[in-house]
Amino acid sequence: MSAIPLSTIDTAEEAPVNLWRDAWHRLRRNKLAIFGLIVIVILAFTAIFGPALTPYDYLSQDLASRNAPPSLAHFFGTDDLGRDVFSRIVFGTRTAFLVAVIVTFIAVLIGLVLGAVAGFFGNPFDRVIMWLTDVTMSVPNLLLVVVINASLKTPITRWMEAQYLATLNPFYRQTVWVDFLLVFGSMALISWPPYARLVRAQVLSIRNRPYVMAAQALGLSNWIVILRYIVPNALGPLIVSVSAGLGTAMVLESAFSFLGVGVNPPTPSWGNMISDGLRVWQHYPHLLAAPAAVLGLASVAFSFLGDGLNDALNPRGGK
Amino acid sequence: MTRLKQRREGCKTFTLYFKKNRRLRPPAGCAGQEWEVALLRYVLTRFAIWIPSVLIVMMAVYAMAFYGAGDPIKLIFLRAPGDVAYNPQRIEAIRESAGLNKPFIEQFGLYVWNLLHGQFGNSLTSGRSVWAMVSAAAPVSFQLALCSIILTAVVAIPLGMIAALNQNNRVDYTILGTALFLWAIPAYVAGPLLMVALIVLLPMIKVPYGWGGVFDVRIILPLIVLSFQPIALIVRQTRAAVIEVLSEDFVRTARAKGVPEIVVALKHILRPVLTPVVTQLGLIMITIVNGAIFVELVFGLPGLGRLTVQALINSDYPVILAITLIGSFLVMVSNLLVDMLYPLLDPRANDSRRSR
Amino acid sequence: MTNRNDQDFSQISRRNALKLGLAAGVGFSLFGASARIVMAQDGQVLKAINPAFDQDWSPLRGGGRTFRWNSFWWASPMYFDADGKIQPYVFTSWDSPDKKVWTFKIDPKAVFSDGSKITSADIKGSWEVSSMPNTKNQRVDQVLSKVQGYKEISAGSGNELTGVATPDESTVVCTLTEADPIFFMRLANHIVPITKAAQSRGSDGEEVADWYKPDSSAVYSGPFKLTALDIDAGTLTFEPNEEFFGPKPKLARIEISSIEDNVTATSLIKSGEYNAHTELITSTIIQDLGPEFSAGPFIPTSQHFWFNTSRAPMDDPKVRQALIMAVDRDGLFKASYPDGPHKKADQILNSVPGADNSGFEPYPYDPAAAKKLLAESSYGGPERLPKLLFVGISGPAIQAAAQFIAEQWRQNLGITAVDMKPQQDAYAGPDQNSVQIFRDDVGTRVPDAVSYLAGSIASTSSNAQNKLGGYKNDKVDSLLAEAATKAADDPDRVKLAQEAQKAFRDDWAFLPWYSQAMSRWATKDVKAMEKNLDWQVVAPWDVSIG
Repeated sequence: MSAIPLSTIDTAEEAPVNLWRDAWHRLRRNKLAIFGLIVIVILAFTAIFGPALTPYDYLSQDLASRNAPPSLAHFFGTDDLGRDVFSRIVFGTRTAFLVAVIVTFIAVLIGLVLGAVAGFFGNPFDRVIMWLTDVTMSVPNLLLVVVINASLKTPITRWMEAQYLATLNPFYRQTVWVDFLLVFGSMALISWPPYARLVRAQVLSIRNRPYVMAAQALGLSNWIVILRYIVPNALGPLIVSVSAGLGTAMVLESAFSFLGVGVNPPTPSWGNMISDGLRVWQHYPHLLAAPAAVLGLASVAFSFLGDGLNDALNPRGGK
Repeated sequence: MTRLKQRREGCKTFTLYFKKNRRLRPPAGCAGQEWEVALLRYVLTRFAIWIPSVLIVMMAVYAMAFYGAGDPIKLIFLRAPGDVAYNPQRIEAIRESAGLNKPFIEQFGLYVWNLLHGQFGNSLTSGRSVWAMVSAAAPVSFQLALCSIILTAVVAIPLGMIAALNQNNRVDYTILGTALFLWAIPAYVAGPLLMVALIVLLPMIKVPYGWGGVFDVRIILPLIVLSFQPIALIVRQTRAAVIEVLSEDFVRTARAKGVPEIVVALKHILRPVLTPVVTQLGLIMITIVNGAIFVELVFGLPGLGRLTVQALINSDYPVILAITLIGSFLVMVSNLLVDMLYPLLDPRANDSRRSR
Repeated sequence: MTNRNDQDFSQISRRNALKLGLAAGVGFSLFGASARIVMAQDGQVLKAINPAFDQDWSPLRGGGRTFRWNSFWWASPMYFDADGKIQPYVFTSWDSPDKKVWTFKIDPKAVFSDGSKITSADIKGSWEVSSMPNTKNQRVDQVLSKVQGYKEISAGSGNELTGVATPDESTVVCTLTEADPIFFMRLANHIVPITKAAQSRGSDGEEVADWYKPDSSAVYSGPFKLTALDIDAGTLTFEPNEEFFGPKPKLARIEISSIEDNVTATSLIKSGEYNAHTELITSTIIQDLGPEFSAGPFIPTSQHFWFNTSRAPMDDPKVRQALIMAVDRDGLFKASYPDGPHKKADQILNSVPGADNSGFEPYPYDPAAAKKLLAESSYGGPERLPKLLFVGISGPAIQAAAQFIAEQWRQNLGITAVDMKPQQDAYAGPDQNSVQIFRDDVGTRVPDAVSYLAGSIASTSSNAQNKLGGYKNDKVDSLLAEAATKAADDPDRVKLAQEAQKAFRDDWAFLPWYSQAMSRWATKDVKAMEKNLDWQVVAPWDVSIG
């Protein structure tokens, strides 16, 4: 028998290079997932460059043509102050992506750290962190977000104003950052528990593998073991979770905007626009249809991608 | 381990075994009564651990409301139209008689003391008893959530199985597509659209607004809207779980034996799939009870979601705290039930229980 | 043969007649079922929508949504009719030679819904219970603040209005702390309704919990009585008060249901299921329900944007002037209420004697001059201005208006740092200490220019202290103080008020917006739903449908 190369004997988890390439091939064959990926890339492009390329400024009002239906001049029509809906949706894409990416990033960071610590070091860290996740998940979402918002609004605003008066730096006058900070912070604080649980489950299943024990036996410090061996192998399900989580964060932001704890006007956000459109949709359906359709499209795209990644990274699908 | 310890261990781990006649029997080495005592001790321990945690949460929520939004009395006058004189002396007098001038710790301590005596206090905005408000709202949310779960389970699990059994086929794509479509529509968009469409297009049907109990016809529309996302979620999850199970050996064996497909589906595939699905259903139930806010607002259902929004807008401490307490209690009970039912559903899951 | 034919004919005709009758019967019942006429079998029913599940329907709150229904089930001392003229109600006469001691006579026919007479003890008790701080009556200050003994009760000490005397059952004598020529007008509203003191007031002087509910055997003084109240389901039912001492009410019943979603409420009203609303404010109300639904007389209430003169950059008068002159107020009104029912305002006063021909010169719209002023100010231009924060903007029309103003400032002056937080307003209340611009309404419950201005620009008013940032103009104060001493029909009273308003103009402290119309919020077929400056239906006994 000829020598069998080592790479074919290794299981998928222990040869990362093959896993990713393999997954990519499987992903490519999944049409829905590719569709989702393309949509997301287009939206991301719009989020980054869109606002500079729109035909109208998203703030400029034209009271002569208010609530106009879609036309060649205004692709999606105008809203009740005469602003171009298309431009506002494009800017809203930036808001949505900003919120989704940053909230998920912060939540994943918190979740990764806490989950890894809980899984790796065991009790008492495990108990405490699991208790923390239970507590966070048990308080009703809206309650937590509103309370955090309401309690942090004044101190942060006061601090920003004091900084401005002290330094006269125009950055401190920008109100949008404070808004976003509050929104990010409070949403991240309710989104991290699922990631922590996931990471903990992964860590628990990996830490007893032979190669991890070997690394520990060699005397490598705990942190290096975590970073180099455990985290990369836990990434698979985490990626799936993150892609689904981005979609959820987007919908969550729009839901909170709808309820009144999201981004403030005149900054456009899909949730704000949907909430305004819902009040007058019988007269001006385009005000509701446009942002709702875009939100739905984004959410579906993330779901497709998430499903596709799941199928691609877990090869037991039997395909 | 000594034999005594072994017996104690056996009692503590309670795995419930099912015999052919489906009788619960304690594990070997454990007498009947000892096992029941161990069961009770477990439940009480969980409850005892929960109490300090919920107190800490309530204190955090109270603190944030107290230092942030301020008290409800001030808000009544702040929000009143401009011709209402904002008379600080009068407002102070009102606050003092409501006990809102005391320091934070004292107020919270008083609240907990009353709580231990079973008194939830009165709403600071309307003067109504908090217990009356919550006990009118909670059953509505609960019934709604239960019906939604049942609807979801009945619709989504079979659909998910069918999709998985016809994987990558047109049937699969149709079901998956519909599920994702349902997932993409937020409840706060679907609700008003359907509601107004119903009023405008079909004026003969009784308007689906208000709560008339579980068997009233007006519950149909809110139930459907509420179940959109859970159905989508469960369909996808069932499908994924069934796909995983399909490649297992025991399925292949059953098929090779010539067992009819439907028996294979129900008897062999469904059991292992139920575990994660039931967990997910539990989580969904909690979400609905805690906050089906949009559906409640649009369809006029007097449930906990609406109560939460009102309490938050009015910064009504006693009501906010009562809702936090209920939410937390529900999560604890649901976790407990899931922990106890897990081995029932999947006897293999004894070890995985620890890494749930 | 003919017999048989006859018989056949008559039989057929009888069968046909039966068929016809049946068809007619079915037809009529179908028609009746699908006909959206709101008529119960036994009379006219007013079906109204309340936009929230209000938990507290006590009439003693002096404000809020539930207050708008007070005139249906409670009587007041006097009331203002649709022309703004005061009419006797429970009090038949009011006079005072020195404007400090007032004598009121109670109508001998005035009774509660159980037949017991309305006595002066009831009046005194009702006034006292409303003054108690715990009752949380929002506006009792405007009615009773000058009565001797009120200050002590309001501060939390004591529970008796020492200035109110009851020499006999049908006379009430009121002694004020200072002369007030319009005191009688202050009583002509439902802010302090007349209740049976024994029921509403406990032995400790505080309001009794749930005293007004039907299951507490409450008695009512108005044309209707509350017969059913389900707070959790949000439904109320009123039926005529047989013992009412005024004109007999025409309605058979009033049913109030709670529907929170405005779009649903609009659809239900359009489809005929309901025919009135407590307070419906949507941006398409004229298109949905027609102009008659929200039409109504103009009342002395108006909405403006007030500048906090104590916070930067509003402490510089040139900045304020620039900001005001850079906004096109016609466009502002068009952006918020293009179809009405309100009216664009150029000054504070409206719908009171002295509002027309007041000599108040409207603020001009002059972007070029505004830009120059801003450059001349201590900030030297838009780049160094601190952030401008709007509050009080949690409604759709107000949001539109605020965004319009911000955009005007951006285009005409180059100011980009403008912030508004409508959502946090809704949840945490406007933070009065940290804002530059406060949208709020000012108004009065008496048709008097002096009290209108006393509540908005006098330095003692809460508007001046809280929204204008401690605004104090001695000329305005002295003019208003002098005007307050003049008799109600003295032309000097009006003239001095107009002078005070003109003095206020030069401080450039507010951006005028609109004067309010008191909408009827009832469909075309509901008659006599006109409301007055007290937000109440003027003559609830006259309300009829069809």
